[in-house]
Amino acid sequence: MSSAGLERPQLVAHVQQALNYTLFDCKWVPRSARLLCLGSAARGTGILQLYELQGGRLALLREIEKAKPLKCGTFGATSLQQRYLATGDFGGNLNVWNLEAPEIPVYSVKGHKEIINSIDGVGGLGIGEGAPEIVTGSRDGTVKVWDPRQKDTPVANMEPVQGESKRDCWTVAFGNAYNQEERVVCAGYDNGDIKLFDLKTMSLRWETNIKNGVCSVEFDRKDVNMNKLVATSLEGKFHVFDMRTQHPTKGFASVSEKAQKSTIWQVRHLPQNRDVFMTSGGAGSLHLWKYEYPAQRSKKDSEGAEMGVAGSVSLLQNVTLSTQPISSLDWSPDKKGLCVCGAFDQTVRVLIVTKLNKV
Amino acid sequence: MPVWLRDYSWRQTGSAVYLSLPLRGVRVTAANIFCTDQYLKVSVPPFLFEAILYAPIDDTNSTAKIGNGIIFFTLHKKEVAMWDSLTLANADREKLQYLRENAVLKAHEKAKEETEAKKVTKQEHKKYALEATMKLEEADRKRIENLKEKERQKVTKELELWKKQQKDAEKQKRVQKEGELYQEVEQSKEKKKEKMIKTRIPNEGTSKTGLKPTKGHGSYSMFSENLKEEQLPAPRSAATIKINFTSRVFPTALRESRIAEEEEWLRKQAEARRTISADLSELEDLKEEEKNPDWLKDKGNKMFATGNYLAAVNAYNLAVRLNNKLPLLYLNRAACHLKLRNLHKAIEDSSKALELLTPPVPDNENARVKAYVRRGTAFCQLELYTEGLQDYEAALKIDPKNETVEKDAEKIRHLIQGTTQDS
Repeated sequence: MSSAGLERPQLVAHVQQALNYTLFDCKWVPRSARLLCLGSAARGTGILQLYELQGGRLALLREIEKAKPLKCGTFGATSLQQRYLATGDFGGNLNVWNLEAPEIPVYSVKGHKEIINSIDGVGGLGIGEGAPEIVTGSRDGTVKVWDPRQKDTPVANMEPVQGESKRDCWTVAFGNAYNQEERVVCAGYDNGDIKLFDLKTMSLRWETNIKNGVCSVEFDRKDVNMNKLVATSLEGKFHVFDMRTQHPTKGFASVSEKAQKSTIWQVRHLPQNRDVFMTSGGAGSLHLWKYEYPAQRSKKDSEGAEMGVAGSVSLLQNVTLSTQPISSLDWSPDKKGLCVCGAFDQTVRVLIVTKLNKV
Repeated sequence: MPVWLRDYSWRQTGSAVYLSLPLRGVRVTAANIFCTDQYLKVSVPPFLFEAILYAPIDDTNSTAKIGNGIIFFTLHKKEVAMWDSLTLANADREKLQYLRENAVLKAHEKAKEETEAKKVTKQEHKKYALEATMKLEEADRKRIENLKEKERQKVTKELELWKKQQKDAEKQKRVQKEGELYQEVEQSKEKKKEKMIKTRIPNEGTSKTGLKPTKGHGSYSMFSENLKEEQLPAPRSAATIKINFTSRVFPTALRESRIAEEEEWLRKQAEARRTISADLSELEDLKEEEKNPDWLKDKGNKMFATGNYLAAVNAYNLAVRLNNKLPLLYLNRAACHLKLRNLHKAIEDSSKALELLTPPVPDNENARVKAYVRRGTAFCQLELYTEGLQDYEAALKIDPKNETVEKDAEKIRHLIQGTTQDS
């Protein structure tokens, strides 16, 4: 290994903590050095643990047990002061918890008939404009958007047409929330469909199929005009779509990369640099990528319609941490390079990625 | 019988014996000389020279110089002494034999020892080389580890520093918050007073400025939350978006699909539709539509439905002449032959159809079931019940839920059992 190799960002494993339950999601608590782990205990109940980074280890601050196993959670739709956690569980319930008083949820609704696979929030944490909203995607094939001020009914519901056989929704993400009216939800399904719903016009804006089940979608930033969308799928492929230019028939331009031989479970963009993202794989590996824009982001096609041009993706670093899939990944919004990942070997790991300034 | 060489000459010093042995007319190599510490033999067929030495010599250091029809031995004595003669004088036959054997054994042992010693040294050399490379690699690895360790420590320090900063910032915010809360409480008291005393307009103004929310710093006060609610848009009016999912030609996930086979089947279909046989000379007087195999197939189907089986067969025959790659033509013609009781032809056609229906994919399941059933029926009507049963079971394997096929298979089984009982 030459010294040139050491100039690239390094993924340093900082802390590792073994847990006694299956970990499904891990998230940093905003504006703090605390992190949250959500999962399912062996006896079939949900576990929520709050850890703090102290010295070289994680200290457990709180442990909360809930009736149903918890699958996913987000802080995206709460204010920085309140820092309420929105969770989706195996029974299809959406709950918003105040971690200081977690016995009764602040908001609760049985949103779906089946497990909520993915959740996202927008409008909180001082990021973006507009009302705070939560979107959930479930195995029952529907994607629902909730406003914590409105009880029981979602403010938007994306469901299959009557008689259509449903496909599981595996992932959801908010985007394009750059002013109070605009908002977009992107959902990925197990048959490879990616659908983009515009909430301002309440319509389907774009859809495509990437042939393999979509495990994770994320916009590079939720609170700007849609710039890039990364969608990861089974069989080791991920696609980066350039969302600035939509062609009337061809949709958005994309570049795809086959990185790992196994499923790519998650993609997360670095909050401090929207062109750097990390993907986590089914073989327990993490890959750090950088997107480079093309010389011209759009060009005219034969009929004069604007068409986007996709750039290129390059691998900065990769590391294998575990033998089991790394199912959840989160960057700390406060410290550049600090991230937490949770794997199915019941371990949560805190990593530090160095030299991101030079990327 | 070897020829003994007896004309040798020798002389000695205190420590060595010099023996010269003439060997005329033969070529001597090192292999012909055999020497141990008390026995010397030179054997060049047919000549033989043998000597049992007076005293032991150091055979490793002794040398033999071969050349010019003479061998010159330089034998170094083990003990410094003067020998009375070169050989032991009173050596009887048995002693001779014994000495010879001993000599051979000793030679063997020596050879063995030498090889052993060689092996050992070789091993040691290998080990040494290995250890040296290992050390080098170890050093390299250590260097890299150190670099990584340094990075880690640096990064950990930064993290701790950042944490401290966070804690301080939080403390500050808390103090600030408390201060603001106190302020707000004061101002609310003032506001209440102002509501009662309406003339205090300038003070209202000041209290309002105190209420300006600080944007984006995360230190929201109680009152600013209320204001924010007013700034937030109302919850969206509920709406539903209906979606469709991408249909697949074959409804299996990519990883489960036997995509190669499915592609092959699609390709075959496409090709089949395109092929037209070249033998069109007789068909020139046919109308345009009569040259289209699909049209002919439809015609055939219609005639089959009305019961005009011969005409249907004619239509299918013409279609096959035009395009002999469409499996459905053979399938339908087999049905006609069944009805016409041309059982052998029915079997032929069903078999041809099955051949064309490879590779077996879910798309051509129905066709394959029909083909098996028709062939099975034909076999049964020919009283070849076992073959018929085989075909029915094949059909069942493809479509286990088909009740008619089940029932027929049962009937055939009973028949077979009935006939075996009879015979």
